[in-house]
Amino acid sequence: MKNLKSLLVIILAFFLVVTFCFPAWGAKTIKIGVIGPMQFVQGKGHWNGAVMAAEEINARGGVKVGDKKMKIELVKADSNEFLNVMDATNAMERLLTRDKVDFVVGGFRSEAVLAMQDIAMDYKKIFIGCGAAHPEICLRVAKDYDTYKYFFRGTPFNSRYLVRTCFIQMATVGAILKKSLNIPKVKVAIVASKAMWTDPMVKAAEGFIPKMGMEVAGVWRPSPVATDVMAELSAIQRSGAHMIFTMFAASVGIPFARQAGELKIPAVQVGINVEAQKEGFWQATQGHGNYVMTLNTYNNDVEVNELTKPFLETYMKRFGEPPTYTADTYSAIVYGIVPAIEMTGTLNADRLVKVMEVREYLVPGGKVGYIKDEQGRPLHDLKWGPGYLTSLGVQWQDGKQVGVWPNKWKASKDAPEITYKGIVPYKIAPWVIEKYKK
Amino acid sequence: MDLIRYYIRKFFKLLKTEVFVLPSRMIVLLFIIGLLVLPLITNDPYLLRILILASIFAIFAASWDLLSGFTGQMNFGHALFFGVGAYGAALLNLHLDLPPWGSIPLGALGAVVAGLIIGIPCLRLRGTYLALTTLSFPIILMGIVFAIPEVTGGELGISGLDRIVRSRVGQYYITVVVMVVMVVAMWKITDSNIGIIFHAIREDEVAVRASGINTTRYKLMAFCLSGFFAGMAGGLYAHFMRIAGPSTLEVSMSFQVVIWAVFGGVVTIWGPVGAVFILFPLLEFFRFWPEFRMLLFAIVILLILLFMPQGLLPWIRDKIENECPRCKIRNVATRKTCRICATSMH
Amino acid sequence: MFADIIITSLINGSTYALLAIGFSLVFGVARIVNIAHTAFYMVAAFCIFFVTHHLGFHPIVGMLIGVPVVTLLGMVTYWIFIAPIREHEAAVLIGTIALAIALQEVMLLIFTGDYRSVPPLVPGFFTIIGVKVFYQQLITFVAALVILGALRLLLMKTRLGLAIRSTAQDREVANLMGMNESRVALYAVGISIALAGFTGAVVVPLTIVEPFMWLHPLIMMMAVVVLGGLGSIKGSFFAAYILGFAEAAVVFLIPMGAFLKGSVALSIMILVLLIRPEGLFGIAFEEER
Repeated sequence: MKNLKSLLVIILAFFLVVTFCFPAWGAKTIKIGVIGPMQFVQGKGHWNGAVMAAEEINARGGVKVGDKKMKIELVKADSNEFLNVMDATNAMERLLTRDKVDFVVGGFRSEAVLAMQDIAMDYKKIFIGCGAAHPEICLRVAKDYDTYKYFFRGTPFNSRYLVRTCFIQMATVGAILKKSLNIPKVKVAIVASKAMWTDPMVKAAEGFIPKMGMEVAGVWRPSPVATDVMAELSAIQRSGAHMIFTMFAASVGIPFARQAGELKIPAVQVGINVEAQKEGFWQATQGHGNYVMTLNTYNNDVEVNELTKPFLETYMKRFGEPPTYTADTYSAIVYGIVPAIEMTGTLNADRLVKVMEVREYLVPGGKVGYIKDEQGRPLHDLKWGPGYLTSLGVQWQDGKQVGVWPNKWKASKDAPEITYKGIVPYKIAPWVIEKYKK
Repeated sequence: MDLIRYYIRKFFKLLKTEVFVLPSRMIVLLFIIGLLVLPLITNDPYLLRILILASIFAIFAASWDLLSGFTGQMNFGHALFFGVGAYGAALLNLHLDLPPWGSIPLGALGAVVAGLIIGIPCLRLRGTYLALTTLSFPIILMGIVFAIPEVTGGELGISGLDRIVRSRVGQYYITVVVMVVMVVAMWKITDSNIGIIFHAIREDEVAVRASGINTTRYKLMAFCLSGFFAGMAGGLYAHFMRIAGPSTLEVSMSFQVVIWAVFGGVVTIWGPVGAVFILFPLLEFFRFWPEFRMLLFAIVILLILLFMPQGLLPWIRDKIENECPRCKIRNVATRKTCRICATSMH
Repeated sequence: MFADIIITSLINGSTYALLAIGFSLVFGVARIVNIAHTAFYMVAAFCIFFVTHHLGFHPIVGMLIGVPVVTLLGMVTYWIFIAPIREHEAAVLIGTIALAIALQEVMLLIFTGDYRSVPPLVPGFFTIIGVKVFYQQLITFVAALVILGALRLLLMKTRLGLAIRSTAQDREVANLMGMNESRVALYAVGISIALAGFTGAVVVPLTIVEPFMWLHPLIMMMAVVVLGGLGSIKGSFFAAYILGFAEAAVVFLIPMGAFLKGSVALSIMILVLLIRPEGLFGIAFEEER
């Protein structure tokens, strides 16, 4: 027993020594670090997208850098950012110093990305954010271009555009309700989980809804990790709302959809419900999440352009499930980084940045272009709009997630009407029809 | 000239009689020297980063021991002080443009006030009640943080803080020196009259009161001192990470510090410090197996507790040193007779 | 509005009561603050998920399998890891924390961090005084009362109950009287974990199953136990409903502040403790020998 204890101590000491002496492998490859919450679906998306990209590029011989070809080597880093922002920064620093990566893609939680961004900028490595939508991340590029110019947003477009898209979808559904059910004035209940990104959205919604000829029935702010929303749902029902505008980025999206479905609350749900974007939503709500509509980037049946279907099919075949938007690490590598390298013939970050910020190129989700702010300073933030990135509106219909927006959508009076291939009509939940149809 | 030579001779004599005789003190000395000399050997920023964070958490863990180990006030919400220190320093730095050497101590003073605020309700509580009540304070503060996002930055926290100094090595030295100073200060406190009273309050508060000592004052002092040091750690953390977020107030942060302190040995100050420097790099090391990381961590804790419930470091110390049966002075285990009173050690 | 609040508080309170009673039992008898209590609740939830989702049985089968599995697991881990260090309070505390983390990580490894759910024992809802209530919630409420009654029966009328009560009152003298004190503690742990498992079975269809689901109920459960007074089962029962009421009131009266319901409940607990440091029904412990 005594020897066992001493052995334990010696083993611990040995491990400590080994930690710091583990060598980094030198290589003649392009090293791309993929950082994300690898234990969760978002991180898995990061990694899967990158793996698919690396396999595709390496299969055709690698990246042409000047007159030689270099293969891509991926380095996986678990940021654990949902649980611990410090872990994320440690992982990022490790990627840049021990693993000596040339590029970094990934990141999800805005709080963590802000911290990770600082580190990547210190080391002057290009970091493409694939998951965080906070505008501050790109505002830093404009405010301090020399320090932050190595950062680009890969996906999604920033939360201001998110708001705009949501409102458009809400207005579309509101119009459908009004027309099919003969409701004179549609009442909207705003339910937004209490979080930084929803605060301005709630204010904006309160102002926007009356402008669309609808009425705000009330505002509810449950905790993002609430598991029981019966109280909110009872109150919403009492308020007589026809539509519930949801803003959920965390787990509360599941119990809300489930309980609203189980109780057959007579109101349709539209807005953002991140859990409803995932395949597991149907099981997680025990099938009661039917007719829930949410913003999403990809849908199995919708083709935004000619790159969409090959991407979706390859991903599905390789990983057995449809991609989430974090798998846009694929686009970031295949259509973003690699062509820039081949165009400039170098891995030099400064020269690559100059090329990357002016390029516009097609990706499976649309077209990427980078915008500037009102003063003309580069933001390295994604352009929104028809022809660029609009994302989709998807709805769960009987166990399947289908695309319902953009469906004959005009961004403005003179803009062309847009309907992506594979979009189907929106369906109103039967119990809502039953309640209101006169 | 002579005066300087005198002091140098005195210093070496002190080393010879007090430090070199005991292996545990030698280890501490070597450890401090090692920390200070490390940047001369290697320039690896990742390694320096791990050690900077370990130093910050060492201050944090030692401050917990001051309160909960010595004074016996089991504090399960120590993250409160850490968070108040971090947010305090962040707000001062951002809004008043105070440089880090100003904002961190002032943030720590904010944590002292927090210590008073939670110390007062906790005066009448004992044992588990105290532990569970203190658990709730950081949670309440987190609720407030989310309720006023315009001030606190909500779940994004406050970002864009100044660095302590520009270079990583500079940050390292400042943090390590501050850690050594703080830990020595805490150790000196426990070695003083106040420290004796803390010990006594833990053992038997009624007797202390019966001796005429105002335990309320000393308990509040314990809360405030502990809060100050933990707040310093929080401020250093905020300026190193350049972001102060609600993760500084999480329950897991409170639990972590309890784990470190108990693992390393309570009622010592060096126990938690050593534990942090062992466990924190170990957790980073476990990055090799990212899925098993926390699991291995938990298993290590459970196993160590099973075999060494007093803590790892006291157990190690007991293996290499013995106490003389007569004069109670510590001796190296290999000695047969005590170094002071020459009695046989068996 | 009032009806909403009353019904909601009854239901939420029942959940907390079920958890708190088990926790109180093990603390009162073995003086162990079992931070891993809600972690076992989580393991039971995953067992049921596994049985219903992967094997396709009805949740009742899941419950019948899950509760004994969890109880066995609890007693075994207690015997290996906690029993040897029972004398060191601090070590027990972090031992149970480490145990909870270990359980969480094992669940994370097996099931990944995605959110799951479990079908209810009895699907559907009914309406009472204008408020919609799930049948599952009614089951929870009834279960809380039934368990309390059963526990009271156990404690008052059986020999084991007598042993448990006397060990809770005075460990050393109970030992002197011939009761195997560590064996009684083991039984108490077993009953407590069985309760946690049972709670998992009953409550889980109303909530999301994921490896981190044990943290939030832990906080509320400890608040309930402290408010009610450690070691008092009756106290935990009442405190559960008081805090459930506080939470429901916050959600209904301040919909914008619905996320604050946890903080408000905890503040109430602190206020009560200021006035009465032993909690509502607690017994002020004499210094243990």
